[in-house]
Parts: sequence; C-alpha cells; structure tokens
Amino acid sequence: MFSRRDFLKQGLLPVFAGSAVPSVFANGLAASAADSPNTAPSNRVLVLVQLAGGNDGLNTVIPFQDATYHDARPTLRQDQGVLTLNNQLGLHPNLKALKAQWDAGQLAVVQGVGYPSPNLSHFASMSVWETANVKGGFGDGWLGRYLNYLDQVGESPNHTLEGVSAGSLVPPEMRSKTPVTALQSLRNFRLQKVNEHGTMVDVENPLMQFYGGFSKAGPAPYAAILDTTLQEALAASHGLQATDASYVAKATYPANSPIANSLKLVAETIVSGLGVRVAHVTLGGFDNHAREKPVHDKLLLDLDQALGAFMADMQGHGLADRILVMTWSEFGRRVNENGSAGTDHGTAAPMFLLGAPVKGGLYGEAPSLQSLDNGNLKFTTDFRSVYASVLQGYLNAPASDLLGGTFETLPLLKS
Amino acid sequence: MDQAPGSTPTPLTPAPTPPPIWQRPVSRRTVLATAAGGAGAAALAALWRGGSLAQVLNRVQGLTHTYEGVFSSERTRVAHLLRRAGFGASPQELDRLTGMGTAAATNALLNYQQTPNQQLEASLPGFDPTVTSNGGRQASALQAWWLTRMVGTARPLEEKMTLFWHGLLTSGLDKSGPGQLYQQNQLFRRTAMGNFDDLLKAVSKDPAMMVYLDTETNRNGKPNENYARELMELFTTGIGHYSEDDVRESARAFTGWTLGRGKQRDALTSTFVARYHDEGVKTFMGKTGTFTGDDIVDMLVPLRATAERLTTRLFSYFAYPNPEPEIVQHLADVFQKNGYNVGAVVKEILTMDAFYSPKAYRALVKSPTEYVAQTLRAVGATSVSAPAVAATGQMGQVLFYPPNVAGWPAGASWINSSTLLTRINFAAGVAQKAAPASTFKGLPGLIDTFIDGNVTPSTRDALTQAATGTGQIPVTLMYFVLATPEYQLN
Repeated sequence: MFSRRDFLKQGLLPVFAGSAVPSVFANGLAASAADSPNTAPSNRVLVLVQLAGGNDGLNTVIPFQDATYHDARPTLRQDQGVLTLNNQLGLHPNLKALKAQWDAGQLAVVQGVGYPSPNLSHFASMSVWETANVKGGFGDGWLGRYLNYLDQVGESPNHTLEGVSAGSLVPPEMRSKTPVTALQSLRNFRLQKVNEHGTMVDVENPLMQFYGGFSKAGPAPYAAILDTTLQEALAASHGLQATDASYVAKATYPANSPIANSLKLVAETIVSGLGVRVAHVTLGGFDNHAREKPVHDKLLLDLDQALGAFMADMQGHGLADRILVMTWSEFGRRVNENGSAGTDHGTAAPMFLLGAPVKGGLYGEAPSLQSLDNGNLKFTTDFRSVYASVLQGYLNAPASDLLGGTFETLPLLKS
Repeated sequence: MDQAPGSTPTPLTPAPTPPPIWQRPVSRRTVLATAAGGAGAAALAALWRGGSLAQVLNRVQGLTHTYEGVFSSERTRVAHLLRRAGFGASPQELDRLTGMGTAAATNALLNYQQTPNQQLEASLPGFDPTVTSNGGRQASALQAWWLTRMVGTARPLEEKMTLFWHGLLTSGLDKSGPGQLYQQNQLFRRTAMGNFDDLLKAVSKDPAMMVYLDTETNRNGKPNENYARELMELFTTGIGHYSEDDVRESARAFTGWTLGRGKQRDALTSTFVARYHDEGVKTFMGKTGTFTGDDIVDMLVPLRATAERLTTRLFSYFAYPNPEPEIVQHLADVFQKNGYNVGAVVKEILTMDAFYSPKAYRALVKSPTEYVAQTLRAVGATSVSAPAVAATGQMGQVLFYPPNVAGWPAGASWINSSTLLTRINFAAGVAQKAAPASTFKGLPGLIDTFIDGNVTPSTRDALTQAATGTGQIPVTLMYFVLATPEYQLN
C-alpha cells in the first residue's frame, strides 16, 4: 500500500497532475460546462452559514400580528415593511433576496429550532450545535463526521478539499481526523518559492523530509498533526493550482462585505471543480445586548445581499441544482428586549434552508410567545431533526450513525 | 540539546553528535509510562491518586520520554524560559541570560519593573488614543505598536502577561474603539502581575470592556446581562458554578458605571452615575445585600473555582496544557494564600520543576503572534512592517480582534493547511530580508538560536546537505530553520 506521503513524493497523487485538469476534478467542470443539472449526491454541496453570536430569530422571521411581540419589543419591533410569508409571519424587511427565494419555492423556514435544556452560554451552545450532541464538548463536529464518512466509503478523492471553510481557522463542526481546508484566497494558497541570489530553490522535498522525520522520530506533541497538515497543505495547494483559474463571478457581489467575500470564495471553489462537498462561512456580530436595531438591520442586509449574489452566481454557472445553503446560530434571543434597546441570550430560533433542492415553505411550529421558559421561547423542532433531514435527504448519508441517534426528519427537500 | 551551556556552536558535519534523546536506550520509567498508557486512563488515574506535589512532579518528569534530559543544558533552559515568559531572544540576548544562569534570568524577567525600557519607548511608532477618526488606520497603527513592543521590549514578561490578559479579559475592535483598546492594553500592562480582584474591578470600569460587553448601557431597572454572564463564565468561575438567577442579579449590581465625556461610545473615561445604579437588594450565590459590581467581584474572586480556573489557564499558557489536578490545587493554594496575587502564581510556575520537565518542552504551538514576534526579535528587527502585522492575521490571530469573547483557542487549532502555509511563507519573507545581513554563525548558529540546537537527525542531515551542497546559501538555510516543525512549537 502506498501512503499519501509516497504518492506525494513520487508525484503520483492526482492533484500533482500539473497543467492538465486531473480526472478527480472533472465532475464540477463537466457539470458546469454542459450546464446540465446533475444532482447525483456526489455532486451536491452543502453551504453552511453560521450567524455567530446568537441571531435574534424574532426579528428575522417576525410574528408581526402577535400583540405579545409588539409589547415585548417596544423599541426593537419591526412593524414597517415586513415581507409577509403568510398572514402571521414575515421576513425582516432587509431579507429581499430570501423573499425572492421564498416566492420561487426555494426557501424553507424551520421554526422554533432548539434543543432540550438549552444552554445560554455562547460557547456551550455553539458546541452543542457543532457536535450535534446536547452535552457539547470537544468531540468531532457533525460535518467532520460526514467528511470522515466520505473518506471511509472512498468518496473523498482529494482528501483535502471536500471540506472547505472561508477564513483562517477550521470551524469545530468540521472537526474530525479528515482534513478540512481553511481558505483565505485560492490564488495565495501555495508555497512561496525561495530566491537564493537569483536561483529558485526546491523547498518542497526538504520540508516534507523535515516534517516526516520529526513525526517519525518519537512521540512528541503535535509532531503527527504538523506532518499531516504539511502534506494536506501541499496537496491542497497543488490541487488549487491545477484547476481552471478562470472563474468569473456571474453575479455582482456587494463590496466591502466580509460575508460576500466569503461566499464568493466558496463560489470560486465550487465553480473551479475542486470537489468541495461542504463549505462553511461565518457572519459574526449578532450578540447585540445593546442598540441592536441598526446593527441587526445591517447584518441581515449583508447576509441577504451576499446570499442573493451567491445564489445568482451559482445559477449563472448552471450549478444551482447542486447547492443547498443552510443557516444556523447558537441561539435566539430573549423575547422581551432589555433596557439597552438590545436583547439578552435566548433559546429557540428559525433556520433557513435555501436553494433549488429545497421544498419551500414553513416547517415546524412557531413557538408561543406567551408560554415561555424564564422569558425564553420553548423550542418546537430539535436542530438534529434538521441535520438528519439534510444528511439523509440531501447528502445521502446515514444520518442516525452520524448523529448518534435517530431523529424525525422533515420533508424539507425535493427527493 | 548537544550544546554545552554558553559554548560556541561547533561545526556540524565533522563533529560527532551524541545520540539524540529519542535514540537513547529506553529507560525503565519510559517502560512504566508506556505500560500505564497502554492500560488506559484508569491506570493513569490510579498512578496519580493521593500523591504529594513532589511525587507528582517526579511522575511528570518520568511520564514523557521523547524529550528526556533536554533541560540538562542551561542554554536550553534559558531559551525555553525566554520563549514562554517572553518572545524568544536574539543570539546575543540568549548568550547574556545564559551567562547569568537560569535562576538569575528568571528573577530578572519577573522583576521587570527594575529593567529600564526607554529604548523601546523612544523607538515606538506614535499612537494617539484620542484620535477617533480614521478607525481602520488607527487599528493598524495600534496593532503595529503592540507587535513592536513585543519584538523590542526589555521586559518580555510584561508583554507576555499583557497578551495573556488580552486573551482572557477580551475586548475587540469589532465593538470597542482603537483608542479604548490602547488604554485597556496599558491597563493590562500596569496591572499585569498584580491582584486579580483589583484587575477585575478596573476592567469592569474600563471603557473598552464597557463597550465590548455593554456595561455602558446597563441601567437601573434595565439590566444588561452581557458582562455579568461573561465575568462568571469566562473570567472567573467558569460554567457550572452559577445560576441564571446569579447572572440576572449580578447584572443589576453592575449598573451605575457608564462612559464619560458625553457618553460617546468612543469615550476614553468612565464615570459612576448614582441614579443609574440599582440600589435595591440583590441575591447572589446565596448571599443577600445591596451589592455593587465591586461586591460581586469580591465574592467571585475568593471562590475555589476561580482560583482553579485562572491558575489552570496560567499554567497552560506558560508550561503545558491540561495540568495535573495536583498542580492546579497547588497553584490555587498559592493564589489564595497570596491575596489573589497573579505575580506570585507566575513566579511559582516559572520556578517549578514541571516547567522544566520533558513534558513541558515543545508542548505548546507558537501562537501567530509568538511566531512572528519571536522571529523578528531573533533577527534583531527594530520595527514591524505592515505585512508582518497582516501575517499574524492570516495565521489566525488578529491582535485586538479576538474571534469572540472567549479569546483565541490555542494548541492544535493554530495548525491547519492554510495557517501552516502562511507561516512557512512568512519564513521565506523574513529570510529573504534578514539572512544576507545576519550574523548567525552558519547553520549551527541558526539551529542554536531558533531551535535550541535540538533538531531531528533527519532534518539536521537535510539541512547539512543543503548547506554543503550549494555552498553558502544563507537565505535558504534561515528559511528552512524557520520552517521546521520544531520551530512551529514553543
């Protein structure tokens, strides 16, 4: 058996194929070139959008007819310009692109999503969502387990780019022994050459020797992870350089918007046919204990415009059938606003799923604003039901195994 | 490991090197340790049970073997000390402190108030905290200002502790202004080794913190829970030691303090306004009274959970992660017996055997800030360029911009394919610039300065080959040494 190191050394790993596009990357390009929808599970991409800090669900999907909502939110209530979903509920006025998705039957809104005995700590609750384990902790992430499953069933030809996250760090929900690539730019993801008085020095082989030797020399802390990470870095950089670098966005992404930049990078990665299966982007800033309105309005505007551009870009590249976007946040916020025109940590909140694979509509039950638990909403849908629906119905993966339990699925997706 | 203390590095190829530690005969202790590991956590736990601190430390020494004996070299001890309690050293600095000996070097680091730092202060790029326009440029200037301090300070522990507090008592540019964060940074620097209760009381009224965690809007009758929650969850006891009612009640106690100067959000002062303070009776952790924020701090700091959490964090920052329970209990005792003095705990950590145990050697991953600052300090840089500041961000750490209120996750989370490439590419940039003019004495000098002369044999072979094969190639050699896995660790 060849190890990956051997492949790398001998240049046998397909990502080393130089200028020719290696076969493992052909799927994306073929689908893109032919412009024909191909929804085979192996071509599907899940894009996870994390709304970090605890998004105010009640001001995102708004129960605008509910008198309790109006009373609870004397300064924060949205009563102008709500984009109605039905006679009770409406989207925040800034969610215009999401409303267009809704009108096209491509937006699912799952209401009242949470979990039993909710934790009001950002970090404890994030880890619950990330691990899909109500005990939280530092175990593998639920998407990490999915990527690891792909590896095990031999559906992970690149070994490095099936999971990508925009940014400098790998998010915990993608954590497992299967590598995930944090991307800040496709172009810069490469080893710089060293110029020794005009001579370009080969640095790759010596580096491989250093890291391999260090990890073999003895059981030292971090030696193994440094070695595998170097191999992943070289493999990923070769993969990225070997692809068609001619991506041109087929939609206008808003300028000066970090979330738009992140989604554009994800789009580039998908269009370049790198075999990405799960992508992760983060929009932070939702922890608005004070002066929430202007901040939250802007965040939702940025989110909506970025998602709108991303979906249009995917559509333009003929890839819309292969893209499912899902948003999540560690919790919603307290029903009553606080004295600082903000909201404190809460519990249940809605999730969005959007894209051509989605069966649009409302799912789950809107939580009661009257029957509260310490001022917080009681959840009506377990978040793991949503995960299970996506794993099983979209990614064609064994949801119960990956989630460590069986959860009722929702008919969120076209089969 | 093969350099005698203070000796001139010897040429590499001809000199016979003693067997590296990992090739030495397996000791009985190693066998025991392996057996314990094989028998699993239960056996290990049994091994720990009921031991005195001295016994525990013996076991710490014995349980890891890869780096056994590494600290027999005084030079390695001092280099380790300078990496952990500071930002590494130039060859000259390492020579000087090794000459002093570990004990004297430790004292000099700890008693930094006695070390003049005018040279640094005079060379710093200017930063005016009162400038509130041009936020982006102010933020970059602030980052460069601090990184320059780390590279050039004569009081490395002062900066290292300031970085510790920035990572624990977080505030960030996503909410607070650059001027406010400059002031907070100076507060951390002033009180870095002082009493924890004093620091927490000052931070509770610090404008950057008041904006970051919303105490500026916390008012009588309109409590805002943000600061109260994080004070307990992250700054003191940790989760599991307080109730949601404690969060709500202590938020009321913290009312009253607000920003000064017309309450603008970028104010650099804070002030107490009596009518904003909730004077009512609060019940906090089973006690009842008309508590203020300072009273809450006074109740939280003496709790054992606070002592254990803070000392675990300090030990993990300086020595190695997940300290043994006996070590935590010992340090928590030191903290409590010394009136919650942080300096006493730091002194204890830097002088305890566990700090110089094989388990502590290269047991931490250099944070991006450490990687960049140590490299620049070692090559004698006197200023910090904008690309160097940007590089720390691409490696995963933007100073004054922690990812959230929990600060930066450490250890393995610093290493992924993207951040490792950025580190290695940063090494290329530094080598390209610094190597031609450097005074390192060839490959042995480079290895001695950056990785204690302690390098994997195969790496040494490869480096030697690179050095001899192509003649004098200082850029490549410096690059390679900075890119080694050994140098990624601390």
